[in-house]
Amino acid sequence: MTRIACLVVPGADERIQRLLLETALAHSPSVEDGGPGVVYLDLRGLEALFGGEKEIARRLLDTIAARGLTGRIGIAGSRAGSRFAARSGDGITIIPPGCDAGRLGPAPLALLDLDPRMAARFGRWGIRTLGELADLPSRGLAERLGDEGPWLQRLARGEDPTPLRLWTPPPVFEESAQCPWGVATLDPLVDLAADLAGILCARMIRHGFSADAFEWSCRLADRTAHAGACAPPAPLVDPGAAAALIRSSLEAHPPRAAVEEITLRARPVRVAVAQPRFDEPPRPSPRQLTATLARLGALVDTRGVGSPVILDTHRPDAHRMTPFTLGREAPSPLTPPSPCPLPPWGRGNRGPSPLRGEGRVRGGPTASGPKARSPILAMHRMRPPRPVEVTVAAGIPAHLRAAGLTGHIVAGAGPWRISGDWWTDASFARDEWDVELADGTLCRLARDGRGWRLEAIYD
Amino acid sequence: MATSIASLPPPGWDGEGLDGLLAAFLPGRLSEIVGPRSSGGGSLLLALLSRATTRGGLVALVDASDSLDPLTAARAGLDLRALLWVRCGGRPASAWSAADLLARCPGFRAIALDLGAAGHAAPPSLGTRLQRAAEGSGAAVIVRTPRHLLGGAAALVVSVRRVRTRWIGADQPKRLGGLVSEARVLRSRADPRLATPERAWLIEWRA
Repeated sequence: MTRIACLVVPGADERIQRLLLETALAHSPSVEDGGPGVVYLDLRGLEALFGGEKEIARRLLDTIAARGLTGRIGIAGSRAGSRFAARSGDGITIIPPGCDAGRLGPAPLALLDLDPRMAARFGRWGIRTLGELADLPSRGLAERLGDEGPWLQRLARGEDPTPLRLWTPPPVFEESAQCPWGVATLDPLVDLAADLAGILCARMIRHGFSADAFEWSCRLADRTAHAGACAPPAPLVDPGAAAALIRSSLEAHPPRAAVEEITLRARPVRVAVAQPRFDEPPRPSPRQLTATLARLGALVDTRGVGSPVILDTHRPDAHRMTPFTLGREAPSPLTPPSPCPLPPWGRGNRGPSPLRGEGRVRGGPTASGPKARSPILAMHRMRPPRPVEVTVAAGIPAHLRAAGLTGHIVAGAGPWRISGDWWTDASFARDEWDVELADGTLCRLARDGRGWRLEAIYD
Repeated sequence: MATSIASLPPPGWDGEGLDGLLAAFLPGRLSEIVGPRSSGGGSLLLALLSRATTRGGLVALVDASDSLDPLTAARAGLDLRALLWVRCGGRPASAWSAADLLARCPGFRAIALDLGAAGHAAPPSLGTRLQRAAEGSGAAVIVRTPRHLLGGAAALVVSVRRVRTRWIGADQPKRLGGLVSEARVLRSRADPRLATPERAWLIEWRA
């Protein structure tokens, strides 16, 4: 005979729900996640281990009470019965076997978690309690509601033949290596991490997982901790690529003292195996790309390798780097910037500068239409902008002098005054000029309170 | 000061337009774009990368002087999510090594090395290494440099020069309209007919 216990803890968040599920799993092998704050347990066969139903319920409540939680438990022959019992009483409420239908009779219909359409229909019929639903003629219910009608009626009578949807804890992929003598140099530490990565990858292969991130933490000889993380461009289970990635991460953030213990943790994801299309362009293999990115990160700087993302602002050269990934699912960040409600410079601030053409850019390459595919003049940014000496004649730049770039200005357009972010602490305001030097060099100059700067060279 | 380009192109210039020139940069070959600053070479490189990403490919840009403007690149049609940008922070030696690493990773449609205004010379025999790596990976490897650096290793050498600047404004320039540049193929192993002295491409880049 089926006996179900329902553990209810009001106001449970994700962390508490995980705790409840783990507590339940420590008592019963069959546990179902019933939603926030609700956990079902199958009590069959547990008497020999924990005693009667009341003792099991008491143990559950004591366990969660030790974690500072207060809950209620109902035990009945069905989910609905146990849930009703848990909600109706304080502490422990047990409905004896075979009495579900009688005890559920006065319970409200909402206990069945009906969809709004069905709840409204029963409301029109005047059905308010489970007992009223249980008393309806089954044949007429089937004629009006189809299969769902008799199914709901069985639930209202305390008959719940479906087994629990078993919850299993997500696997933890974590390995540690202790070295009490202390590893003071990077190479042996990397070898240790590579061994751990090999073990983790083998475990993940057995479980059908791939890793989309690795986290490592070191316990140092000076009693401090040192941790870091790295993510491959695509989920992988290749030990060599994982080792190269972790090596790059450790080299970028070397520990400041000898390492006595290193722990490596992998974040598992399931990757669907898909057959590539014939018309799909070839992609780098995750193993090779991960190894290449790791070497590039060691060669230049990990922060200098990635894909640029344009920020939602009119500030010149506003972008950030994101890790390069093989997936293209991420939405494009090219969204229209927030409108500037109150320009502080009535005459000077003319909105998007025609020098820059923001009006066309912000829609993104796909939204700009065929016009965006016409050849665009590239701009080489100076990072940081280079200070220059500019001689001004009659309000117009006439001569430019900078390291490696000197000449008369033969043509120019400006000033285009731009400003923005004045509602924040990082406001900007400046005049921009496009100028052509006598040798044909086309430059973007900017002038603000700090003087003239060379922003970019057109190429 | 404003100049009309209504009379262009003069006789003898190629009528295929930019697509004809871009098609000369073949996959699996090492190519070189040579030209001083503000000649349109950087724009040609950007157009090559944009064309590769619009066809769904992944591209890599090794940026020796850390000078790519992502906003301009997006305007040119480059899918930034398909771009691997390697910022070398003014270290040309690292840029050459990074390009060598990337050229050995199959799966990229185009790998570009922008050496900036300085145009640091390649380490000995690196041009040949890059050419071999390009053949192995099948990627189009393109080096943008102010002067010819790769010697005989480049299968395609395109020279770019500025023709004129286009300003918008009736009496005096109000804004920069663009740049007109001329591209000539100095060497093409795949199609030597492209390298005839009378053949050139006139390209107008829009600011």
